[in-house]
Amino acid sequence: MLKVPEHQVAGHIAKDGKPGPLVDDKGRFFKPLQGDSRGEIEVKFYESFSSNTEVPDHIRRYFPVYHGTQAVEGSDGAAMIVLENLLSKYSKPSVMDVKMGSRTWYPEASEEYIQKCLRKDARSTTVSSGFRISGFEVYDHKELSFWKPDRKLLNGIKVDGARLALRKFVSSNTLSDTSSKPDSAFASSVYGGSRGVLTQLLELKTWFENQTFYHFNSCSILIIYENESIHEDGARAQVKLVDFAHVHDGNGVIDHNFLGGLCSFINFVRDILQSSDESTDN
Amino acid sequence: MKMLKDPEHQVAGHMAKDGRLGPLVDGEGRFFKPFQSNGRGENEAKFYESFSSNKNVPDHIRGYFPVYHGTQVVEASNGSGKLPHIVLDDVVYGYPNPSGMDVKIGSRTWYPGVSQQYFNQCLKNDRETTSVSLGFRHAGFKIFDHQESRFWIVEYKVVHGYKVDDARLVLRKFVSSNSLADSIPDCAFASEVYGSSSGILAQLLELKAWFETQTLYHFSSCSVYMFYENESILMKGGEGARAQVKLVDFTHVLDGNGVVDHNFLGGLSSFIKFIQDILES
Repeated sequence: MLKVPEHQVAGHIAKDGKPGPLVDDKGRFFKPLQGDSRGEIEVKFYESFSSNTEVPDHIRRYFPVYHGTQAVEGSDGAAMIVLENLLSKYSKPSVMDVKMGSRTWYPEASEEYIQKCLRKDARSTTVSSGFRISGFEVYDHKELSFWKPDRKLLNGIKVDGARLALRKFVSSNTLSDTSSKPDSAFASSVYGGSRGVLTQLLELKTWFENQTFYHFNSCSILIIYENESIHEDGARAQVKLVDFAHVHDGNGVIDHNFLGGLCSFINFVRDILQSSDESTDN
Repeated sequence: MKMLKDPEHQVAGHMAKDGRLGPLVDGEGRFFKPFQSNGRGENEAKFYESFSSNKNVPDHIRGYFPVYHGTQVVEASNGSGKLPHIVLDDVVYGYPNPSGMDVKIGSRTWYPGVSQQYFNQCLKNDRETTSVSLGFRHAGFKIFDHQESRFWIVEYKVVHGYKVDDARLVLRKFVSSNSLADSIPDCAFASEVYGSSSGILAQLLELKAWFETQTLYHFSSCSVYMFYENESILMKGGEGARAQVKLVDFTHVLDGNGVVDHNFLGGLSSFIKFIQDILES
């Protein structure tokens, strides 16, 4: 039985008769192949990546497991990419999608696409900060419900807005009440720690300083953590790379665009972690 | 004050040759850079003022920047009269025969807030050159050919048209002892110039570490200028190559505003990988 995924924060959703992603009860995520070669590129990437023996195991775990493609009933026999459902092991996940890189266009793209990207990149924090927050959903421990910011509002945020969003993402207090400051209560359990988000991002950064296999244009980093029993069992924060519709060969050059953005994002996370550590010391 | 003349070893940027406006040296260790037009000179002086008094810059990083000695009005190289000049330490002073290379770092040379015209020009340059693909592009170089006993200089137009393979090749030629007309550079000086504990790679890595956390400045359109001495490199037991990395050209530096210079950092990391590849091969 396939159903619509619950915690989709960014990317394409089922709209106007066009298929959206689906999940099953066996931990699998079905992503419709996007039109005009993007779907093919994504499949090509997953095929290449899953058989690339030069990718170390500790890096492989930052990518969704690939299960090939499948024609799915009820979606007009359209082929879908079958992936690991990244949220299947979480009961109340907070999720954030961050598009990495100071530009989302790339030399191989069409002129029209490049212009479209240039406009989007300039309007968002992409140009200024090297990344932009595409969407997020966070669990409010007081209201006992999920909260996600208005998409349009998110698109217009600047650097301070991005910082605020990253704080809200790890807060427990009433998020829909914009007058109260986010408490960043979970900053150290989500961002910090020996297996926290910062450690994972730093591991990825080291790989990006050397790998010349792929250029991950327009890819996102997904951050997921568990809210259920967070105080007793910890956050189980995970970083995953997603969205490979624009990945191209590295051709012997590192993905400096992704790397620059990643380093900037790491700095934002580190700042929040340090300021939250300082406030708990007081 | 001593007579000012054109610097012998300039590799990129506006040159004072043939009656044009360009920098001058006094032959005693000082470099005079004329204020560039449209406020760029003022911007550059402002950066140097800020940087020299910025207590948050660690000493070992300060060494990668030319020492600033204020500004001075002197006779311009093109005979147009007295103009303000930025006075710096001549970084190649004490190097009788240096090979030098200027590499503009960053996959984009424009930055938020520039005019549409400037943006269009920068984007065009970035896409035409290796800036977009590599995160850096060559701006100029002067490499000593040990077989011909003279410097090999390539015209700016040609350097501007370099592709990825040309960039790799010239980085190999930069540290070679065989004829530069040879298509296969021997990279004989690679380990001494690029490698070694105080070589170019070690210096670039030190700079990179600073760029991973510094949010003071965004260095748009800045270059890494690297050079080494040819005379001592061939002598055993001599001073060695004395390879150095300097950051130059600060006409477009902005406040970091709490964000790391991810544009420069990405390009620098890519440049470092190119150097590492040459050392490993």
